[in-house]
Formats: sequence, C-alpha cells, structure tokens
Amino acid sequence: MLLSQGSMGWKLKSSLYVITGAIAAFLALPIFFIVALSFGSSRWLVFPPPKWTLKWYEKFFENPQWIDSAMTSLQVALLTSVIATLIALPASFALVRGKFKGRDYLYSLFTLPMIVPVVIIAVAVYGVFLNLGLTGTLFAFVVSHVIVALPFAVISIINSLRLFDKSIEDAAVICGAHRLQAIFKVTFPSIKPGIFAGALFAFLVSWDEVVISVMMASPELQTLPVKMWSTLRQDLTPVIAVASTLLIFLSLIIMVMAGLARRYSNR
Amino acid sequence: MYMTLSRKKWREGTLLIPILLFLCVFFLIPLAGLLLRSLTEPSFGLQNFEQLLATSTYVQVLSNTFLVATLVTVISLVLGFPLAWCITLMPNGWGRWLLGVILLSMWTSLLARTYSWLVLLQTSGVINKTLMAIGIIDEPITMVHNLTGVIIGMSYIMIPFVVLPLQACMSAIDPMVLQAASICGAPARTVFFRIFLPLCKPGLFSGALMVFVMSLGYYVTPALLGGVENMMLPEFIVQQIQTFLNWGLASASAALLIILTIVMFYFYLKVQTDSPVSTNTGA
Repeated sequence: MLLSQGSMGWKLKSSLYVITGAIAAFLALPIFFIVALSFGSSRWLVFPPPKWTLKWYEKFFENPQWIDSAMTSLQVALLTSVIATLIALPASFALVRGKFKGRDYLYSLFTLPMIVPVVIIAVAVYGVFLNLGLTGTLFAFVVSHVIVALPFAVISIINSLRLFDKSIEDAAVICGAHRLQAIFKVTFPSIKPGIFAGALFAFLVSWDEVVISVMMASPELQTLPVKMWSTLRQDLTPVIAVASTLLIFLSLIIMVMAGLARRYSNR
Repeated sequence: MYMTLSRKKWREGTLLIPILLFLCVFFLIPLAGLLLRSLTEPSFGLQNFEQLLATSTYVQVLSNTFLVATLVTVISLVLGFPLAWCITLMPNGWGRWLLGVILLSMWTSLLARTYSWLVLLQTSGVINKTLMAIGIIDEPITMVHNLTGVIIGMSYIMIPFVVLPLQACMSAIDPMVLQAASICGAPARTVFFRIFLPLCKPGLFSGALMVFVMSLGYYVTPALLGGVENMMLPEFIVQQIQTFLNWGLASASAALLIILTIVMFYFYLKVQTDSPVSTNTGA
C-alpha cells in the first residue's frame, strides 16, 4: 500500500508529492538561476534581472585568460579521457576474463582513487611534482586527472564487458579467427557503448576537477575551474555565471550522450 | 584455441601492467610518501599527531569536520527519502523526470552550483529578499561564510548520493509485503515504521555512510561557503601546506582523514554484499 500509488491514502500521497516537488525544486533551481543570471544586466546579480543582455558573454569571450583556460581544460580533459580509457580497457579484460585470485583486491585498488578524498590525492601528487619541478605543466594536469578519472572508466568498461556473452567471441575463434582478431572485430564493437560512456565520464571528471587543478596550476597554465576559483575568491562577477552556464551546458550534452550510449548498449 | 594455464596467466598479467604501473608511480608512492612525512617532518616521531590532537584550535577543526559531516548526512537522508520514495512509486512518467533532475544536479559543475548558492544566499540575495518580502524576517540574515552556508551547500550536493542507493533498495521491496500488513489491519503509520522503514535500512545505511565519508573529505564547498571558524579538515590540510609550508602537520591530518575514510568505507562494503567482479549473479 505504501509502494503502490493506487492504494495510498490521498492525504499521504498529496503531502508526499508536495514535499518531493519542493525538494526537486531545491535541487534544480540553483542551476536555472545561474543560467538566468548570466543573461541578466545587473553587475550585482539582482534577481530578477532588470534587463536581459549578452554583455557578460562578450566579456568572457573577449578576455584571453578565460578563453585560454577553457582551451586548456578541453585539452586536459580530452587527453585524460583517452589515456584513462586506454589504461582501463586491458585492465578490465584481465579482471573480467581472468580466473586468478585477488581480483576483488585489484578492483578495490583500481577504484581506490574514487574513495580517497580528492584533497589528499591533490596534496600527495603536489608534493612529488613540486620536488620534480613539474607543477604548472600539462603533464602534471593530465597525470593527476587520470588518477581520479580511472575508476569511472574501469567501472563503466567492466560493467559492459560482464554483459557481453563471451561465447560469441569464442564462436569467431572456432570459425578460424585469431583470438586478438576476434576481440578487435567482435568484442570491441559490441562493448563500444560501455567504453564510450567510460571515456565520457573520465572527460567530465577532468573537466570539472577543481581541487587537484588548483594545486597543479601556475599563473601561466590553468584550467577553467581554476580560473573560476581564483576569480570567485575576489568577487562574484556575472562573468562567472557565464563560465558556469557553459560548464552546465557541456555537462548536459555529455550526460545525454552517455545516456544514449547506455541505452544503445542495453538493447 | 585454449592456451595453457601458465601462458594465459602471463597474458592477463601483461594486461594489468599499464594500470598497475600508473597507479604505483603516480598514486600509491606519492600517497605513501605523504603519509611517511607525517612521521618524519620535522623530525622522526609522533609529534605531529600529538600536536594535532593536543592543540585546541586543531581539535576544533576535527570536531567541526564531524559536526558538518553528521548534520549534512542527517539532512540529506531526510530530504532524500521522499525523493527516492516518489521515484519508486512512479518509475515511469514523473519519476523519470525526478531522476533526471537528480542526475543533472549530480553532473553539473560543482563550482557552478556552489557559486549559485553564494549568490542566492548573500545578504542582498534572492532568498533574503524573498523572506523579507513575505515578512518572515525584518532584516537580512547572514547565510554565507558561516555554518548555515556550508550545511545548505553541502546537503544540496549530497542529496543525489542518498537518493540513488535508497531508490535501488526501495524498488527491490516486494509491495505485497506492505499490502499483507495492511490487510492484517495495520494502519499506514504502523506499516511505515514497522515494515517499510526497516526494509529500507540497507539503502539508508549505505547512503548515509557514503555521504558521511564524502563530507569528511570535501574541500571546495566549505572553503567557499564557510567562514574561518568553520574550517574543516581538508581546508586545514591545504592551508597548512600552502600558507604555512608545514608538511608534517598537514600529512598527519591527511593520515587521519585517510584512516577515517577507509574504516568507514570498509563498513560500507560490508553493507553491500555483491562483488562487482567475482560473482556472476545479476550480470
């Protein structure tokens, strides 16, 4: 009765719906609010805005610092996504197909960067890279982002690989294909959506990463979240709302893509 | 087509080389190095830990961390429960929209959401203005750079992490069990507290542990929405390194945070029974 709409009392049902609606609004409103503010004319972020304008977008796109940091973010996220996927793919095969002992421990190890607080990973890697003089380099950004992005790629690929029926690959081998040939021509195409989703999540993790990036950044090389972070600490200019809107927009596109990839793989 | 066992093992070994090499060089060794520094800087011994647990300002940071994590966990459980319930009630239609809102919020840039709260909660912000217009308050209340700001901002971020495990747990409950209770004459209140809530316990428990652990290690939101007196452990670690260059004390705090996290996570794994790689059920 508490788990079927039909037999629930209307009093209980309506109060549950009202409460849930309020909480959902609490979750969604800040996101719409920030998008609306990026088009508002008020320097002091008055809401509702007195007028609608694109001037903050102009300011964003005129300032080379914002553009450069956005390009750096894109570069770092793409590299992170590719490298994390390339490392995660063979490891996922070994874990799913292997029969050796200790697979659970290895799985825990591979997902450990997701559990250890990001701030600790940031500080630990910062300590090493500082001594080697590597902070403020593209290498430092990519390596540190791959650490936190790896678990997402591993989990996504392992899940799709477990759903794939290995006998199809075996069939190809029986028909005369070499094992590697079978993997590349049969298995990879069928788990492609899982690999794709893993790569997208890795991209998104890197794209949004703040804490590690703040430690790795130098005045010359910074990602978009770092630029937002340092600007935020000075004032709340609407240009940050523009940057936020662009970040939200990109996350939305990637989420839809990942969702489509997953739907495609479940078919 | 079948390879000998030893050759197959060898092949699996090579597949694992890139990830093991990468994690060792860039993750495990730096992490071990950091933990070691807590014992060796400035000199060998436990002095950093003693200092951490004996200085009242540092103890304040620790208790603050626990206070925030506990409050955030409780609030996200209370707010996440009705959401998970509604999604379970309506798996299609409205439930799908609710799930969409949760995923959108989860995957929206953390900085963007925190910035939004900074603007919403400021003294001249929408929330203060609305409250004054309705007549609930006479003059603006300070909601940022204090505990209120941290709690609002963090609960907002953590709700999705409660809803997802809780919803998974709820959808596994057989509605007939609840039906049976009410047929036997139990009023809705009794069914809720005696049957529904106990059946949700695993979901509640894993959601709560997840949120608690994540809250302990959160940096961005407390740093932006909190004040100096609300400093939490992660912010303290960064401050010790960037401002005071005190790696010893920072590493000791990091060690404490890691131990707390791993102990909690161990309990989390105990709650969750199925292994993602070993068992083949549900694949």
